[in-house]
Amino acid sequence: MKKQSLKIFSLIVISAILFSFSSETGKYEQPILITSAGQSADVKLVKLLAKKQELSAETKLMADVSDLDGIKTLIIVPGFSSKGLGAAGISQQDEMTRVETLVKAANEKNIPIVMMHIGGNARRGGQSDGFCQLIAENSKAMIVVAQGNEDDFFTKISKEKGIPMESVEKISFAAEPMGKLFK
Amino acid sequence: MKKHHISAIVISLITILAGIIASLEFHKLHVSEPLYPSEELTSEGMLSDYFPGIKDTNGDTKIYFFDSGKPGATVFLAGGTHPNEPAGYLASVVILENLIPEKGRVIVIPRLNNSAFTCTDPMEAFPQSFHINTDNGPREFRFGSRATNPLDQWPDPLVYSHKPSGQQYSGLESRNLNRAYPGSSKGSFTEKVAYAIMQMIEKEKVDISYDLHEAAPEIPIINAIVYHEKSEDIAMYSILELEMEELQFTPELSPKNFHGLSHREWGDYTETYPFLMETSNPIQGRLRGKTNEELILDGVSKNYQIAKETGALRIVYRDEGEQLEHRVGRHLSGFMAIISSYNEIHFDNPVEVSGLPGYQELVENGIGKYLNN
Repeated sequence: MKKQSLKIFSLIVISAILFSFSSETGKYEQPILITSAGQSADVKLVKLLAKKQELSAETKLMADVSDLDGIKTLIIVPGFSSKGLGAAGISQQDEMTRVETLVKAANEKNIPIVMMHIGGNARRGGQSDGFCQLIAENSKAMIVVAQGNEDDFFTKISKEKGIPMESVEKISFAAEPMGKLFK
Repeated sequence: MKKHHISAIVISLITILAGIIASLEFHKLHVSEPLYPSEELTSEGMLSDYFPGIKDTNGDTKIYFFDSGKPGATVFLAGGTHPNEPAGYLASVVILENLIPEKGRVIVIPRLNNSAFTCTDPMEAFPQSFHINTDNGPREFRFGSRATNPLDQWPDPLVYSHKPSGQQYSGLESRNLNRAYPGSSKGSFTEKVAYAIMQMIEKEKVDISYDLHEAAPEIPIINAIVYHEKSEDIAMYSILELEMEELQFTPELSPKNFHGLSHREWGDYTETYPFLMETSNPIQGRLRGKTNEELILDGVSKNYQIAKETGALRIVYRDEGEQLEHRVGRHLSGFMAIISSYNEIHFDNPVEVSGLPGYQELVENGIGKYLNN
């Protein structure tokens, strides 16, 4: 009986969170800056989704504070890639410092951060989770491909921090909720 | 005294017999298994046609041409860069034996580093071959080494300095074909093979190049498409297309400062769009446990299952094991997705192929159904 009540309560909480994501429709403004946290090339897929939604977005893998000038929304795509870090010629710690600085600056300038985690379990665990946690906790909305949230990592943050979250089954399905945030 | 003579003769005969058996086994490593191209094959050549400096060496290898006779793009498919990564080799064989070109041309080299098929890595207990059952009985395929046979290139330097970048690798990598590009006509054996491949890509005006690989489950770049920056759009469209087939691939950008690799140098030195794909291959990993043919075919490793469950490392390992047909299937579907995505962008110069099974067909029917003999 107790378990049943707990399940019902959880369902209500999850529904409330999902409902609150729909209330995010049209809440965010353009132009958008898309960047990575962890240097994975997933950011290029998000760029493609933004293009499909005809959003005014610039993509910079190594965006810094100066790139926030004139930006109304910051989309951050977390996920660690050793090849990506190699391509950028930086260490994991350098990348964490860059991302922390960027997040702090965005918060100070009241630029909302939207997290898009689309890399599934390949961009979870190990070296990815530090980036995922930082971005999720500092975001105003989250879009997550379900496979990357099988352990409810993002759901827990969403509940604890009251951050609306939309879960989609496939990367290409992330385009629609992404577009709705701006239209 | 007489007894000693008899013992000496018996021991000598046993030694000679063991020597003969060992020599025959050793000789077998240098015999290529027969491959049976599809009826659509238009011509065959040798890699040495593009650089005579490798003629009559173990570096020379067969090239198969499939020309539709209709205008279109040219695709180059490379298997066997690392012959200890059997899904890459076998995927190129399945393509070779089933391909029907509809528009443009396809060039297949199944044994890109032919020398590396003539040995295995020492102290690793790798089997020398594996068998695939077909309707006409089992077919044997060589399992080789990651690197050129030391009989063809020896000794290894302490430090390998890649030319022309000067990037330094461990000495062993001097025999790794995928650290040798763009190669050199006056370089080492492996650099000469790399040079010949670059010449071929250049002279045949290859539009899309595809290098098939595998990696140990604990390596971060698994089930991934590694792409050169100029191939970015094609790679991204491919990943979305593959996702619709329920196949997850991660995009990985080729680092500009990581030299000698196909996905970097093929793109930097020629007009081609290069791609490299990786699948998860437990027999390559340090945790693999019992090393035998079953591990190549079934990909079942208790150690990797445990390692995955501990969560200490990111391990790409399916609970059912990493069966060869799944790995070959991923390569096949990846190959077709890249062609299809290329055509979406370059619709004025498409390449079209048919006759190839995808991931689902390979998993359902097995690899043997798609091998000719």
